[in-house]
Amino acid sequence: MFNLLRMDLYRVKRGRSVYVIFGILLFCSVAIFGMLWLLATPGGQKTALRIGMLSTEELGEFRELLDGTNVLGLFRQASLDAGMYNTLFGIWFMLFICTDFQSGFIKNIMALHQNRWRYVGSKLLTAGIVDLCYLLGHLAFTLLLNGLFGNMVPGAGWRETVFYLSYAWLLTMAFAALILFACVLFRNMAAGTLVAVLFGSGFLVMTLYRVCSLFHMGGWLEYTIYLSLATGPERYASARDLKVYLVGIGFLALYTAAAGLLLKKRDI
Amino acid sequence: MFAIETMALTKQYGNRAAVKNLGMQVREGEIYGFIGRNGAGKSTTLKMLSGLAQPTAGEVRLFGKPVSDPAVRRRLGVLIEAAGLYPRMSARQNAMMKAKCMGLADEEAVDTVLEKTGLLETGKKKVRHFSMGMKQRLGVALALLGNPDLLILDEPINGLDPEGIREFRELLGELKEEGKTILISSHILGELSKISTGYGIIKDGELIEQITREELEEKCQDYFQIQVQDITRAVPVLEEAFPGIVAEVMDKESIRIYGAEDGAGVNRVLVEHQIPVCASGFHRMDLEDYFLERMEGGSRNV
Repeated sequence: MFNLLRMDLYRVKRGRSVYVIFGILLFCSVAIFGMLWLLATPGGQKTALRIGMLSTEELGEFRELLDGTNVLGLFRQASLDAGMYNTLFGIWFMLFICTDFQSGFIKNIMALHQNRWRYVGSKLLTAGIVDLCYLLGHLAFTLLLNGLFGNMVPGAGWRETVFYLSYAWLLTMAFAALILFACVLFRNMAAGTLVAVLFGSGFLVMTLYRVCSLFHMGGWLEYTIYLSLATGPERYASARDLKVYLVGIGFLALYTAAAGLLLKKRDI
Repeated sequence: MFAIETMALTKQYGNRAAVKNLGMQVREGEIYGFIGRNGAGKSTTLKMLSGLAQPTAGEVRLFGKPVSDPAVRRRLGVLIEAAGLYPRMSARQNAMMKAKCMGLADEEAVDTVLEKTGLLETGKKKVRHFSMGMKQRLGVALALLGNPDLLILDEPINGLDPEGIREFRELLGELKEEGKTILISSHILGELSKISTGYGIIKDGELIEQITREELEEKCQDYFQIQVQDITRAVPVLEEAFPGIVAEVMDKESIRIYGAEDGAGVNRVLVEHQIPVCASGFHRMDLEDYFLERMEGGSRNV
């Protein structure tokens, strides 16, 4: 499996998609910070008034925008909570896997590695490494932006940061396992993109949630990857806050097993 | 010892059997030509031999061991159908990927196979800008990585220009000299007959014949072929004049005569009986003729 991992990491380093996706993530952060600076800070509001983006009546409405939040909260809202991160990360991972199938290179891999679980394992390990780099890199960039924009929000404690990042990583890995399963099932980029967008953005879950809520039956959807990530706790307060880990581990195991069994069953 | 041995190998897709009870034996050091029409089951067989498809029934043994044995798989190089390559990577990067997949630490091995296949000078050129022939050569290069003892090549000559085909033939000759076993499928039977030392013919999923080069040469008889205007009169005239021959009507104008040594005599007899002869000449039955004959259809499209 580690030979496959070395191969995958070689491809990650030489591929453009991993950098493009990270660039988009960072660009979105810059845009969000820019907007918040214009809307919620005194210096920014002056500029917004001058360029006609805000009227004097609206000034008060936005002043409370940043109240009660810290840099971790801003990081969450800027990428993870609304599903942007999972959508982009999912698209990258889908491209990474589907290229194996669409280029036919999978034949070279599987002719050498009869044990299909090695393929699943190496892909998930690669996703895990990229995911961790994305999350840490993005958080570091958010801290940098906060400093550059004059410390708009206060910093976060390291305990809550580690707690949040650990379950965010686990939940995004569960999402990566879902993408792997979809790619092994469809072996097609268009279908993979659709899955990444529908599940990553939360469109499917939220639509279902709204429909189920009409009948007071939406509670179970809180145990989905999307809602666990969007509504997960900010800091550890009680054992109930560990629920997000269980959701992450559960879905990670489920989709990994499904992808492995499907790959084992189907011919290349 | 057999490099490849299959026992009652079967692959079923729904109700349709793509491969039926296939029993193939390829000796070590042999170049084995695997022949069959499109859809006969060649690629499915090769995929099962490479571990890319699971047999519905039967068994595959490579060098006496099951195909799932990791040690055996390291002795195997495959090129099945189109070469599987990352289009946005160079030839060297693709070969590096395969080398890493195999756990090869020696990067020189990559340069060696690229040199062998004439791709060392392609530099940073991306595979998506390669011609079909270059892609096939790179596919062969990837199959050669790790110095495998057994090569399974499915249509490796596809897309190669005449020079490329000649170079490929020479490469296979070198590999045979090194003692490698090669299983190769191709529709270019003329080319296959130049390199193969044994053949397997598959028809509708069944291996209908396995034959060595020597046996094939024995079976491929010389014949005298004539083209006449009045075939209904020509056959009885010839059979009466030459009792030892076997005349086979090929189409409305052509007759193949086996066992005739005097071609001029055949022409003379027909002319004496006022049967005009449009063309005549001695031929040797080649692999293509033999294959078509085995397929029971005369000159059909291979």
